[in-house]
Amino acid sequence: MDVDTEGAFVADEIKTSVKETVDSVLHDAVYDHDKVSQWTNQIVEDCTKKLVGLQKPFKYIVTCVIMQRTGAGIHTAASCFWDSSSDGYAVVRVDTKSMYAIATVFGVAL
Amino acid sequence: MTENKETPAYQVQPTFRQKFKPMQAREAMEAVLKEKLQGQQYSVEQVPSWTRDIADAVKNKLKEFEYDRYKIIVQVVIGELRGEGVKMACRCFWDENSDKHVSFTFSNDSLFCTATAFAVYHY
Repeated sequence: MDVDTEGAFVADEIKTSVKETVDSVLHDAVYDHDKVSQWTNQIVEDCTKKLVGLQKPFKYIVTCVIMQRTGAGIHTAASCFWDSSSDGYAVVRVDTKSMYAIATVFGVAL
Repeated sequence: MTENKETPAYQVQPTFRQKFKPMQAREAMEAVLKEKLQGQQYSVEQVPSWTRDIADAVKNKLKEFEYDRYKIIVQVVIGELRGEGVKMACRCFWDENSDKHVSFTFSNDSLFCTATAFAVYHY
Protein backbone atom coordinates (compact mmCIF):
# COMPACT_ATOMS: atom_id res chain seq x y z
CA MET A 1 0.00 0.00 0.00
CA ASP A 2 1.51 3.30 -1.06
CA VAL A 3 1.53 6.14 1.39
CA ASP A 4 -0.44 9.01 -0.13
CA THR A 5 1.33 12.22 0.83
CA GLU A 6 -1.31 14.35 -0.87
CA GLY A 7 -3.78 13.32 1.78
CA ALA A 8 -1.48 14.32 4.64
CA PHE A 9 -1.86 17.46 6.70
CA VAL A 10 0.39 20.25 5.41
CA ALA A 11 1.25 22.58 8.25
CA ASP A 12 3.16 25.32 6.42
CA GLU A 13 0.44 26.84 4.27
CA ILE A 14 -1.93 26.69 7.21
CA LYS A 15 0.55 28.51 9.44
CA THR A 16 0.83 31.42 7.01
CA SER A 17 -2.91 31.82 6.64
CA VAL A 18 -3.52 31.57 10.40
CA LYS A 19 -0.81 34.16 11.07
CA GLU A 20 -2.39 36.52 8.54
CA THR A 21 -5.77 36.10 10.22
CA VAL A 22 -4.42 36.79 13.70
CA ASP A 23 -2.44 39.80 12.50
CA SER A 24 -5.44 41.26 10.72
CA VAL A 25 -7.71 40.89 13.77
CA LEU A 26 -5.24 42.15 16.37
CA HIS A 27 -2.93 44.44 14.33
CA ASP A 28 -1.85 47.11 16.82
CA ALA A 29 -4.68 46.71 19.29
CA VAL A 30 -4.16 47.18 23.01
CA TYR A 31 -5.56 44.51 25.33
CA ASP A 32 -9.15 45.41 26.10
CA HIS A 33 -11.17 43.17 28.39
CA ASP A 34 -14.42 44.00 26.62
CA LYS A 35 -13.13 43.27 23.16
CA VAL A 36 -11.01 40.18 23.77
CA SER A 37 -14.05 37.90 23.56
CA GLN A 38 -14.87 39.31 20.16
CA TRP A 39 -11.25 38.98 18.99
CA THR A 40 -10.89 35.33 19.95
CA ASN A 41 -14.20 34.47 18.33
CA GLN A 42 -13.32 36.36 15.20
CA ILE A 43 -9.91 34.72 14.92
CA VAL A 44 -11.25 31.18 15.26
CA GLU A 45 -14.18 31.92 12.97
CA ASP A 46 -12.02 33.42 10.20
CA CYS A 47 -9.43 30.65 10.47
CA THR A 48 -12.11 27.98 10.22
CA LYS A 49 -13.59 29.62 7.14
CA LYS A 50 -10.18 29.80 5.44
CA LEU A 51 -9.46 26.16 6.27
CA VAL A 52 -12.79 25.03 4.91
CA GLY A 53 -12.01 27.02 1.77
CA LEU A 54 -8.96 24.82 1.16
CA GLN A 55 -11.46 22.05 0.33
CA LYS A 56 -9.41 19.24 1.75
CA PRO A 57 -10.93 16.07 3.27
CA PHE A 58 -10.26 17.09 6.86
CA LYS A 59 -12.16 17.90 10.00
CA TYR A 60 -10.66 20.94 11.75
CA ILE A 61 -10.39 22.09 15.35
CA VAL A 62 -9.14 25.66 15.83
CA THR A 63 -8.37 27.07 19.28
CA CYS A 64 -7.07 30.48 20.24
CA VAL A 65 -5.76 31.76 23.58
CA ILE A 66 -5.24 35.47 24.12
CA MET A 67 -3.47 36.57 27.28
CA GLN A 68 -2.63 40.00 28.56
CA ARG A 69 1.07 40.71 29.01
CA THR A 70 1.57 41.29 32.70
CA GLY A 71 4.72 39.25 33.19
CA ALA A 72 2.81 36.10 34.07
CA GLY A 73 3.80 32.84 32.44
CA ILE A 74 1.70 30.54 30.29
CA HIS A 75 2.33 27.10 28.82
CA THR A 76 0.33 24.96 26.45
CA ALA A 77 0.72 21.30 25.52
CA ALA A 78 -1.29 18.89 23.44
CA SER A 79 -1.42 15.12 23.32
CA CYS A 80 -3.14 13.36 20.44
CA PHE A 81 -4.28 9.83 19.73
CA TRP A 82 -4.62 9.75 15.93
CA ASP A 83 -3.09 8.52 12.71
CA SER A 84 0.14 10.49 12.39
CA SER A 85 0.52 9.75 8.68
CA SER A 86 -2.63 11.67 7.80
CA ASP A 87 -3.42 13.96 10.75
CA GLY A 88 -1.47 16.94 12.00
CA TYR A 89 -1.47 20.24 13.78
CA ALA A 90 -0.09 23.75 13.35
CA VAL A 91 0.64 26.27 16.11
CA VAL A 92 1.07 29.98 15.52
CA ARG A 93 2.20 32.43 18.18
CA VAL A 94 1.76 36.14 17.70
CA ASP A 95 3.08 38.66 20.23
CA THR A 96 1.93 42.25 20.32
CA LYS A 97 2.99 44.92 22.79
CA SER A 98 0.13 44.22 25.18
CA MET A 99 -0.80 40.59 24.66
CA TYR A 100 0.13 37.09 23.57
CA ALA A 101 -2.00 35.15 21.12
CA ILE A 102 -1.53 31.42 20.54
CA ALA A 103 -3.61 29.84 17.78
CA THR A 104 -3.65 26.07 17.25
CA VAL A 105 -5.15 24.16 14.34
CA PHE A 106 -5.68 20.39 14.53
CA GLY A 107 -6.55 18.63 11.27
CA VAL A 108 -8.05 15.15 11.39
CA ALA A 109 -8.41 13.22 8.13
CA LEU A 110 -11.80 11.86 7.19
CA MET B 1 -42.85 -8.42 -1.30
CA THR B 2 -40.24 -7.89 1.39
CA GLU B 3 -36.61 -8.90 1.14
CA ASN B 4 -34.92 -10.20 4.23
CA LYS B 5 -31.44 -9.85 2.85
CA GLU B 6 -28.85 -8.14 5.03
CA THR B 7 -26.81 -5.83 2.86
CA PRO B 8 -23.36 -5.17 4.31
CA ALA B 9 -23.15 -1.56 5.38
CA TYR B 10 -20.22 0.61 6.40
CA GLN B 11 -20.88 2.35 9.66
CA VAL B 12 -20.49 6.13 9.31
CA GLN B 13 -21.99 7.06 12.67
CA PRO B 14 -21.43 5.62 16.11
CA THR B 15 -24.38 3.81 17.65
CA PHE B 16 -25.80 5.36 20.79
CA ARG B 17 -23.78 3.08 23.04
CA GLN B 18 -20.55 3.77 21.14
CA LYS B 19 -20.83 7.56 21.29
CA PHE B 20 -18.25 9.57 23.18
CA LYS B 21 -19.60 10.42 26.63
CA PRO B 22 -18.53 13.95 27.59
CA MET B 23 -19.53 13.71 31.26
CA GLN B 24 -17.55 10.54 31.78
CA ALA B 25 -14.52 12.18 30.15
CA ARG B 26 -14.99 15.31 32.24
CA GLU B 27 -14.85 13.31 35.47
CA ALA B 28 -11.67 11.63 34.32
CA MET B 29 -10.09 14.97 33.43
CA GLU B 30 -11.12 16.46 36.75
CA ALA B 31 -9.50 13.57 38.61
CA VAL B 32 -6.23 13.90 36.68
CA LEU B 33 -5.96 17.68 37.14
CA LYS B 34 -6.75 17.57 40.84
CA GLU B 35 -4.28 14.77 41.42
CA LYS B 36 -1.44 16.52 39.58
CA LEU B 37 -1.97 20.12 40.64
CA GLN B 38 -3.58 20.12 44.08
CA GLY B 39 -1.47 22.29 46.34
CA GLN B 40 1.16 23.08 43.70
CA GLN B 41 2.63 26.53 43.10
CA TYR B 42 3.46 27.92 39.67
CA SER B 43 7.15 27.36 38.96
CA VAL B 44 8.85 28.25 35.69
CA GLU B 45 11.03 25.14 35.63
CA GLN B 46 8.33 22.59 36.37
CA VAL B 47 5.27 23.88 34.53
CA PRO B 48 6.44 22.86 31.00
CA SER B 49 6.78 19.25 32.13
CA TRP B 50 3.50 19.44 34.04
CA THR B 51 1.60 20.51 30.91
CA ARG B 52 3.06 17.64 28.91
CA ASP B 53 2.45 15.11 31.67
CA ILE B 54 -1.13 16.23 32.19
CA ALA B 55 -1.86 16.13 28.45
CA ASP B 56 -0.48 12.60 28.20
CA ALA B 57 -2.23 11.45 31.38
CA VAL B 58 -5.62 12.74 30.23
CA LYS B 59 -5.15 11.18 26.81
CA ASN B 60 -4.22 7.81 28.34
CA LYS B 61 -7.22 7.93 30.65
CA LEU B 62 -9.53 8.61 27.73
CA LYS B 63 -7.92 5.77 25.77
CA GLU B 64 -8.79 3.45 28.67
CA PHE B 65 -12.48 4.03 27.99
CA GLU B 66 -11.90 2.36 24.60
CA TYR B 67 -14.17 4.48 22.45
CA ASP B 68 -14.32 2.64 19.17
CA ARG B 69 -13.04 4.52 16.07
CA TYR B 70 -12.56 7.80 17.89
CA LYS B 71 -9.45 9.94 17.53
CA ILE B 72 -8.66 11.94 20.65
CA ILE B 73 -6.96 15.34 20.97
CA VAL B 74 -6.18 16.83 24.38
CA GLN B 75 -4.98 20.40 24.82
CA VAL B 76 -3.75 21.69 28.19
CA VAL B 77 -3.03 25.33 29.07
CA ILE B 78 -1.40 26.24 32.39
CA GLY B 79 -0.95 29.89 33.31
CA GLU B 80 0.21 31.84 36.28
CA LEU B 81 -2.43 33.84 38.12
CA ARG B 82 -1.27 37.42 38.31
CA GLY B 83 -4.48 39.24 37.72
CA GLU B 84 -4.06 39.21 33.95
CA GLY B 85 -6.96 38.64 31.59
CA VAL B 86 -7.05 35.45 29.55
CA LYS B 87 -9.56 34.34 26.94
CA MET B 88 -9.69 31.02 25.13
CA ALA B 89 -11.96 30.16 22.20
CA CYS B 90 -12.33 27.25 19.84
CA ARG B 91 -14.22 26.48 16.65
CA CYS B 92 -14.60 23.07 15.08
CA PHE B 93 -15.52 22.00 11.59
CA TRP B 94 -16.77 18.46 12.11
CA ASP B 95 -19.77 16.18 12.32
CA GLU B 96 -21.93 17.43 15.17
CA ASN B 97 -23.68 14.09 15.56
CA SER B 98 -20.60 12.03 16.31
CA ASP B 99 -17.86 14.44 17.43
CA LYS B 100 -17.76 15.99 20.88
CA HIS B 101 -15.58 18.17 23.01
CA VAL B 102 -15.33 18.64 26.76
CA SER B 103 -13.27 20.96 28.90
CA PHE B 104 -12.42 21.45 32.56
CA THR B 105 -10.61 24.26 34.37
CA PHE B 106 -8.77 23.85 37.64
CA SER B 107 -7.40 26.79 39.57
CA ASN B 108 -5.74 27.42 42.89
CA ASP B 109 -4.25 30.61 44.25
CA SER B 110 -1.15 30.64 42.04
CA LEU B 111 -2.11 28.98 38.78
CA PHE B 112 -4.98 27.98 36.53
CA CYS B 113 -5.11 24.96 34.25
CA THR B 114 -7.58 24.33 31.43
CA ALA B 115 -7.74 20.93 29.80
CA THR B 116 -9.85 20.44 26.68
CA ALA B 117 -10.47 17.10 25.02
CA PHE B 118 -11.81 16.71 21.47
CA ALA B 119 -13.12 13.35 20.23
CA VAL B 120 -13.39 12.98 16.45
CA TYR B 121 -15.06 9.95 14.86
CA HIS B 122 -13.08 8.32 12.06
CA TYR B 123 -15.08 7.25 9.02
